[in-house]
Amino acid sequence: MNLKTPFPDPVFARRDAFDKLRGRTRYTVDEACQGHLQAYLLRADVASGEILRLDVSAARKMPGVRAVVTASDAPHRFGIGVADQRLFATGRVRYKGEPLAAIAADTLEQAKAAALAVDVVIRPLPAVFDMAGALASGAPLVHPDWATHEVLLETRGAGRGGNLAWESQVRRGDVDAAFSRPDVTIVESAFRVGRQIHMQLEPRAAIASYADGRLHLIASTQAPWTVKNVTARALGLSPARVRVTAPAVGGGFGAKYGCTIEPYAAALALACGKSVALVPSRAEEMLSCPCRENADILIRSAVTRDGRIAGREAVVLMDCGAYGGEQIYLTTMTAHTLGSSYRLEAVRLVSRAVYTNTAPNGAFRACNGVYNIFALESHTDEICQAIGMDPVEFRRRNVLGDGDLGSTGQVFQGDVLGPMLEKMSQMRSKGATLPSDDGRLYGRATTVGTWFVFVGPSAATVNLNPDGSATLVTAGVEIGQGTMMQSLPQIVAAELGLSPCDVVVHQADTDAAGFDVGVGGGRTTVSLGAAAVAACTEIRQKLLALAARLLQAPASELSLSQGRIDRVGHPGTGMTLASLAQEAMQITGPISGSGAFTRPGVAAMDGCAAGHFLEAVDIPVFAVHDCDVAVDPATGQVEVLRYRVVQDVGRALNPSAIHGQIQGGVVQGLGYALHEEVTLAEDGAFRQAGFGSYRIPLAQDVVPVEIELHEGAPSIGPWGAKGAGEVPILNVGAAIACAVSRAIGVRVQELPLTPPHVLALLQGRKPALQLHHPQDWPARPGTNPPHSTAAVSVAG
Amino acid sequence: MHNAERWADRTTIHLPATAGAAVKLLGELGSEGRLLAGGTWLMRAPMTSGHYIALAGIAELRQIEIGQDRLRIGAGASHAELALALDGLDDLKGLADAAGGAANPAIRRRATVGGNLCTTAFAASDLASALLAAEAEVTLITPAGTLRQELAIYLDWRRTSAAQHHLLQHVEVSRRAGRRLCHARLPLRRAGDYPVAMVSLAAGSDRQGRLADVVVAVGAVESQARRWPALERTLTGQLPCRSAAITCAQANLCQFAGREGPEVPGWYRQQVLPELVARAVAQWAKAGGQE
Amino acid sequence: MIGQLWINGEWCRHDADPAAPLHRVLRENLGLTGSKDVCGEGFCGACLVQLDGAPIAACLVPVALAEGAQIVTIEGLDQDPVAQSLMAAMEAEDAVQCGMCFPGMVMTLTHLLKTCPTTDREKVKRALAGNICRCTGYERIVSAACRAAKDLVAADAQKVVA
Ligand SMILES: Cc1cc2nc3c(=O)[nH]c(=O)nc-3n(C[C@H](O)[C@H](O)[C@H](O)COP(=O)(O)OP(=O)(O)OC[C@H]3O[C@@H](n4cnc5c(N)ncnc54)[C@H](O)[C@@H]3O)c2cc1C
Ligand code: FES
Ligand code: FES
Repeated sequence: MNLKTPFPDPVFARRDAFDKLRGRTRYTVDEACQGHLQAYLLRADVASGEILRLDVSAARKMPGVRAVVTASDAPHRFGIGVADQRLFATGRVRYKGEPLAAIAADTLEQAKAAALAVDVVIRPLPAVFDMAGALASGAPLVHPDWATHEVLLETRGAGRGGNLAWESQVRRGDVDAAFSRPDVTIVESAFRVGRQIHMQLEPRAAIASYADGRLHLIASTQAPWTVKNVTARALGLSPARVRVTAPAVGGGFGAKYGCTIEPYAAALALACGKSVALVPSRAEEMLSCPCRENADILIRSAVTRDGRIAGREAVVLMDCGAYGGEQIYLTTMTAHTLGSSYRLEAVRLVSRAVYTNTAPNGAFRACNGVYNIFALESHTDEICQAIGMDPVEFRRRNVLGDGDLGSTGQVFQGDVLGPMLEKMSQMRSKGATLPSDDGRLYGRATTVGTWFVFVGPSAATVNLNPDGSATLVTAGVEIGQGTMMQSLPQIVAAELGLSPCDVVVHQADTDAAGFDVGVGGGRTTVSLGAAAVAACTEIRQKLLALAARLLQAPASELSLSQGRIDRVGHPGTGMTLASLAQEAMQITGPISGSGAFTRPGVAAMDGCAAGHFLEAVDIPVFAVHDCDVAVDPATGQVEVLRYRVVQDVGRALNPSAIHGQIQGGVVQGLGYALHEEVTLAEDGAFRQAGFGSYRIPLAQDVVPVEIELHEGAPSIGPWGAKGAGEVPILNVGAAIACAVSRAIGVRVQELPLTPPHVLALLQGRKPALQLHHPQDWPARPGTNPPHSTAAVSVAG
Repeated sequence: MHNAERWADRTTIHLPATAGAAVKLLGELGSEGRLLAGGTWLMRAPMTSGHYIALAGIAELRQIEIGQDRLRIGAGASHAELALALDGLDDLKGLADAAGGAANPAIRRRATVGGNLCTTAFAASDLASALLAAEAEVTLITPAGTLRQELAIYLDWRRTSAAQHHLLQHVEVSRRAGRRLCHARLPLRRAGDYPVAMVSLAAGSDRQGRLADVVVAVGAVESQARRWPALERTLTGQLPCRSAAITCAQANLCQFAGREGPEVPGWYRQQVLPELVARAVAQWAKAGGQE
Repeated sequence: MIGQLWINGEWCRHDADPAAPLHRVLRENLGLTGSKDVCGEGFCGACLVQLDGAPIAACLVPVALAEGAQIVTIEGLDQDPVAQSLMAAMEAEDAVQCGMCFPGMVMTLTHLLKTCPTTDREKVKRALAGNICRCTGYERIVSAACRAAKDLVAADAQKVVA
């Protein structure tokens, strides 16, 4: 589509703001607090053990108790890549906090009291809490029965075995040859990051009811169809018997992308026939939160004197916790984050999801990318130091451009990062210089990052109503990002020549809307938008045909705009959409259209990727971040002085909404980079249990982000758009780490850079991070991982 | 009815009108009874069954009296009320900063001075540190009678079994001409979290503008705020400059062993002390126009 | 036991335990779900309500101690002209995302605008030390407060002229 096509109403305010400001919006937690039974989960208090006894008979007799369900009520395994999980620990406990039973009672206090009456005996077993330990030979296995788990997603050449939940690999070119070249400098770096907790203000929440043989779940979810399908699978129901609706969601960021708590409420509702609400307390929400995973990254590069990257190899370990979940899928992403941004002559990557006896991790805004970009950009700065090249110059020379190959051999289109770097230097040069004589240490950095839009299948239906308004029906959820409030009605309006105010957006309901993967991966505007465009195309064709008949004019000479259909160049000569829609009643019946979208599929180079769910990315998204920091050498406190973003948006459908996403995403990234820390106690539980110990940025900790949107990069998205909500967090850890490292003159290998961490670096208290990935260095695809007795290899 | 079951009445909240009545109730209820001031500490965990004796209705406890040479703070005064009352008093700026910088605005409106000083399990009390440096005295009412103690003694005493059933009535600070109190706190973010370390400093000056009669208190570093006598001695007679402050603090740093916690390792609390001393000294100099 | 609260200009009866946190009584017994239950510890500000004119964290107030106080929840702030200006400014700045923090933000900032009409970004940020937003990155909220401050001063000036 021509970029110059005017897109009407680029400033279109959110329709949900008025009620949200006044506390009128009813989130799932608000619906949950009156008129339902309340559910509580009894959780295991050891990280690893054998369940010797679990007797709920006394609990059933406690006052107010209406239902108790346990493993036998939900025996079916589910998962994302591998079906390795059940609703309740069955026979064996794999992490502290794993649910053992669910109880519904008239009040939450009664349900809790009943939980205390459950007779549980668990024999402790040895546990592993860190990935190195889990991969060491002789480590206790989190899933001794791993070989019997069903593999749900087929890929070519994945590795599995023992505590290795999944391994994916990339190999392009001759890396060994590159590293043995005489003219290269070899730079090796190691990085480690901890977990990040979403801390969305509304916890996950679900209300289940059972009527007429069907379950209805009202859920605070990003992915209604996932909730529907996983709940059905876990409970052994046909998915057709589960309906999921999603009211306004009070923040998600990935915490609500999987199906985690809904099946418990569903099982209880099935058991007692009453409606059951499950709302975890903040402490429960944190201990069972599907965090951004902790990761260990080892990366090395062979670089020529003029700064070309002859070879690169890396091993990334991602902690999936006790169950594979998202992390199995996310091993795929290393190829497109750590393996991206730069031109590589030869590359070899190994990405592993590792089981440990800790709470399962999950999805979090720019999954996998955030720490891999931190590692990649810090490594890049270490390269620049080793070969004596200016870091911005190095990036300018090496970033992916038109026709360059990604790690899996996909061909990138368009020069995007190069011009974006240029924009960033211009932005920087306009900024005022900062005072730097107050005894603090100053540093700055520019970093690049590559992310992508996770497109995936979406369906949309649009009804043109007799009053000339349109109703858009999808399973898309408004989680705060604004897509359902802004860009989607804008797109429908633009396609049908309406005002976006006249586009009604139906709240997500799996009974009304077709399949959708869910709100995440920056995909909503693109996938739902494209499906909506397709639906509108059908409507437009119907309208034009009808109008041609009524107005006695060829359809090609008609145009839709401002709620009317007129001859091109003769406004006012035709009729309003409302009257056309009414005419249609007599002639064709009501006008509606349905549309669908799925990823078109971009080719990787044959044989480059093994064990990948996505060998190439359909819509890459690029970002350049730049920041200035000041470090107090006495306290280790880092102050962010300025933060700048140039973001590739394809086309900005609603610049204000995108700016809002960037400010919010950057601040979440600042939390990740500087404040938010999860540490494990000796029993494998998180030591942080609330907003007091898990510190997210407050108003005084942030700065206004200076933003420039980069338009014009190729995109298959509707009106040339790309997803804009995920990527803002991508490079923040990287930018802050590189800037702090320059300020203090010490290598930064770990995040977050809390004041004690920075002071430890300054005082030389922190030994350099040594990562040992046994047998892996250099990473050799095809070598058997520990415990491997079989490599799953399913032709994809 | 559904709601009736929801909160089965388990607790009783008494609302005495005088401090005397409150103490009488304390005596009668024995281990059943507990004082409830602003509730900002007690309410963080669900309040378990039992009797709470609320101090909110006792007007006399809320009074703050500022005299020429004495300040008396009722234990029921909130942090916000204290900060407001002290606004503009240069000699007590450190106390105003402690009251006005702790927690967040909504908490400061409810959290009382008494609650802040009487919570034994709380290591990061801003007021304990500031009032220690101010050499405050507390007045306690027990069923056996009224008791006056130095705050430093009270902080230890409150943890002993003898301390059961007392009500902190008020805190008194003497104001001496030429003395100034300063308070330097270090939260990890700009504000909003518990400080990981704090230093309060009170001192007068001699004719050359050197620090005289120095009192230093340190809070949050160990499980309870305490004075730093060795530093008090070394700082006395020093010019109020950054380098002197840091040198003196460094020399006496070994006297503190930092408390381990999920938020920071113990060594960190100790290592930031010299900087906090320097900040407190800088504030002191600034308040005296000696920048 | 039956308790009585004066909320948004009317008496509301409830039968909650005297030590139940006020925000849960508002939400679970009285259906006033505008104040949110997010941290329960005084850190996030999502539960704020006005008690005798100033915002406090309802999660830390035993309901019995709120008896006899004038309680205004976000639902009742709708008629307050300062809050209205502020909310209009929030819309104009496109500040709202998921919305969970906003009832508390409006509580804090309405009070700030009343007690400190000549506010600036720094003061607004300081006032927000107990209001957490996980979505927006705060700056637009700050801009909205400053915009509302200007609007209110301008409106006052007009009143004086008229
Ligand atoms: C979000 C948050 C942040 C905080 N940040 C800080 C901070 O930065 N710095 C800081 O110093 N504090 C901080 N605090 C702690 C806060 O100051 C205390 O919670 C508060 O001072 C306790 O006072 P209260 O009146 O609410 O006490 P309550 O919760 O009512 O009582 C606390 C304890 O003191 C006892 N008690 C109360 N009054 C008396 C009395 N007169 N005589 C005898 N015993 C009594 C009670 O029995 C109870 O054991 C923070 C608290 C919160 C919730
Ligand atoms: S819920 Fe009350 S402050 Fe967070
Ligand atoms: S808008 Fe979501 S928490 Fe503030």
